[in-house]
Amino acid sequence: MIYLDNAATTRPDAEAVEAALPYLHEQFFNPSALYSGGVAVQGELRRARASLLSYLGDGAKLELVFTSCGSEADDHAIFASARRGNAVTTAGEHAAVFQSFTELKNRNVEPRFAPLHKDGSVDIDALLTLVDEKTTLVSVVHVNNETGAVNDIASIARAVKAKNPRCIFHSDGVQAFGKLPFRLTNDIDLYSVSAHKIGGAKGTGALIKRKTLALAPYIFGGGQEGGLRSGTENVFGIMLFAAAAKKKFASIDADFTRLKGYREKLFSLLEKDIFARISPEDGTPYILTVAAKNLRGEILQRLLSERGVLVGTGSACSSKHPTSRVITACGVGKEYINGVLRFSFSPQTTEGDILAAADAANGAARELYARTARS
Amino acid sequence: MQKVIIIRYAEIHLKGKNRGYFERVFSVNLERALKGLKHELHRLSGRYLVACFDENRTEEICERISRVFGVHSYSVGLETGTSMGELFEAAKVVCPQEGTFKVDTHRADKKYPKTSMQLNAEVGGYLLSQFPALKVDVHMPAHTVYLDIRENATALVFSKFEAGVGGMPVGTSGKGVLLISGGIDSPVAGYMMAKRGMSVELLHFHSYPYTNDGAKEKVKELAKELARFSHSARLTTLNVAHIQEEIHAKCAPELNVTLLRRFMYRLAEKFARSIGGQCLITGESLGQVASQTIEGITSSNAVVTLPVLRPLIGFDKDEIIAISRRIGTYETSVLPYEDCCTVFLPEFPAIKPKLSFVEEEEGRLDVERLMEEAFASKEVYDLNEI
Repeated sequence: MIYLDNAATTRPDAEAVEAALPYLHEQFFNPSALYSGGVAVQGELRRARASLLSYLGDGAKLELVFTSCGSEADDHAIFASARRGNAVTTAGEHAAVFQSFTELKNRNVEPRFAPLHKDGSVDIDALLTLVDEKTTLVSVVHVNNETGAVNDIASIARAVKAKNPRCIFHSDGVQAFGKLPFRLTNDIDLYSVSAHKIGGAKGTGALIKRKTLALAPYIFGGGQEGGLRSGTENVFGIMLFAAAAKKKFASIDADFTRLKGYREKLFSLLEKDIFARISPEDGTPYILTVAAKNLRGEILQRLLSERGVLVGTGSACSSKHPTSRVITACGVGKEYINGVLRFSFSPQTTEGDILAAADAANGAARELYARTARS
Repeated sequence: MQKVIIIRYAEIHLKGKNRGYFERVFSVNLERALKGLKHELHRLSGRYLVACFDENRTEEICERISRVFGVHSYSVGLETGTSMGELFEAAKVVCPQEGTFKVDTHRADKKYPKTSMQLNAEVGGYLLSQFPALKVDVHMPAHTVYLDIRENATALVFSKFEAGVGGMPVGTSGKGVLLISGGIDSPVAGYMMAKRGMSVELLHFHSYPYTNDGAKEKVKELAKELARFSHSARLTTLNVAHIQEEIHAKCAPELNVTLLRRFMYRLAEKFARSIGGQCLITGESLGQVASQTIEGITSSNAVVTLPVLRPLIGFDKDEIIAISRRIGTYETSVLPYEDCCTVFLPEFPAIKPKLSFVEEEEGRLDVERLMEEAFASKEVYDLNEI
């Protein structure tokens, strides 16, 4: 099996799992317990927290709240920040942000959605026109999970703050963390990340915040995570997250360069009369999104799966949701809108995988044309 | 004194000399419904008694009984001796402590030393002495305490009748093959026929790779939900993707659906004959969609000789949805998976296909070969294991 759906989830890193296993077995104590076992685990959590923060910025200025997933981090950031006025985001957000913004309507906050460029990145000028003195929150995804387009959130945050210094700036960094070399700037108040996109386990995420930002709690209870997110900590998941991130960040630049080469190689091997490119060249090297002419991505995905290659798709074969919201917002043409395929890579991806995937995609598309032709 | 559930059956008493057979099937179905829960099932004259069960699971047992076709009503009550002391004690347990009430005695044991009227008066008097807030009203009582004096010196005492699902025991009215899609209608059609005592075999057509495994999982889920009533044991699936491809490639586009349905009927009949099925069951409702017109139905019917039962033919969608909600299949039915991919859907399907045109277009296809191919894709799922 060739797994190229790493933007959906990655295989947990075996070494990182090994390193975290003691926290499932011997060191199973509740970190809030006052005997030495509990205190020791608490210390380990503190170190894990500090090491995760160190990849993104100055630990003295930042705080990290562990959550159950990236979506929880997004929801916490949004509902704790957008309490009145309006809130601005983009049409290219992951559902965790997009649906939360839609829900803001029911909480008397006006959601505003900025349009996208063809590659899935946000139209910054349009976004800025939506920001006014009543804006309480601006949320811009760092890497678009469907097209791989990268938004320059440092510049966007600076421009937003220049227009309204009091609003809070959040970014969903789930597809960027551990993949793009990047440091949080002072204009970015909140940043969401997730473990299972970089070799950690599902069920662990984090919300990173500027220390000086006051945020309302998301789960009330025993006061864990500085009172912002109560509930006994997912110690194993967190230790695995820290170990996976350590490994991932150690090779972040080398992976970046190599995968960029793979991404271009894959696109060059895809037949151009079938596949059109959606991902921009300056997007994340981890994602190549293409669209097949007059075919359905979901069916292609199944034919690829029969050929041993697992990829993602942008559309579902459903009359209720025939096309992806984000891909539609990118303005992809009618012939291509249903045919979206997303190849997403990990450091484990090999050149052989790329060659096989291109072969399978070309073959599957040709097969589908033949099977659905009218004589 | 022990807690029991009294089950009364519907219609079975109408069946004259076949009654023994109906009762046997009914008790097998009750046992199957209660499988996995500790209990004893006793047959009394005209009713069944569930005893020796875990009282903490009474609600669960009642829930399961309420789904068995043939159950007219049931009551949770007490089985006790027939001495006055025992009757008093049991009546006190089942009787509410306030409001209007009466006592209603039935004596199967005609040798019992007291008459029904005497028992009503004595037990009623005792209850009044115990619960001062009670008041007798023999015409419109809010509560009735029923005493059923059995012949073996036992009595059943209860105060409520719960309605059963009615119908006839599944297995007493032959065997049919339900064409189950992932939609709202077909599970309801299966429910209706099971209610009339038919054993329902489930057959689903998919068109992988044009439909996905999520759609198949949804049908499995629906099949399991329906099986709570119908006790269907299996779900069989056939892949019709290649048939769709051939129709799409060779025939008039407006007939895509009509022709596919003819294949589905043929395949269903072939399947039915292979398992001793006596009819096909579909969820069609007249005029609901383009293929469910009388012309559409005529063109499908023309390819089979087994009867096709359409229990929903005269139902409105709202009525079907109401049943679907009641039997608990609605929520699964509306999950967003397509049972038939839109790839091959014509823009303008023929609403009134002429049979001669349909047959002419079908003539372009190798029907026998396509049938064999589809039949070879058969997969069978045991509903107890999914």
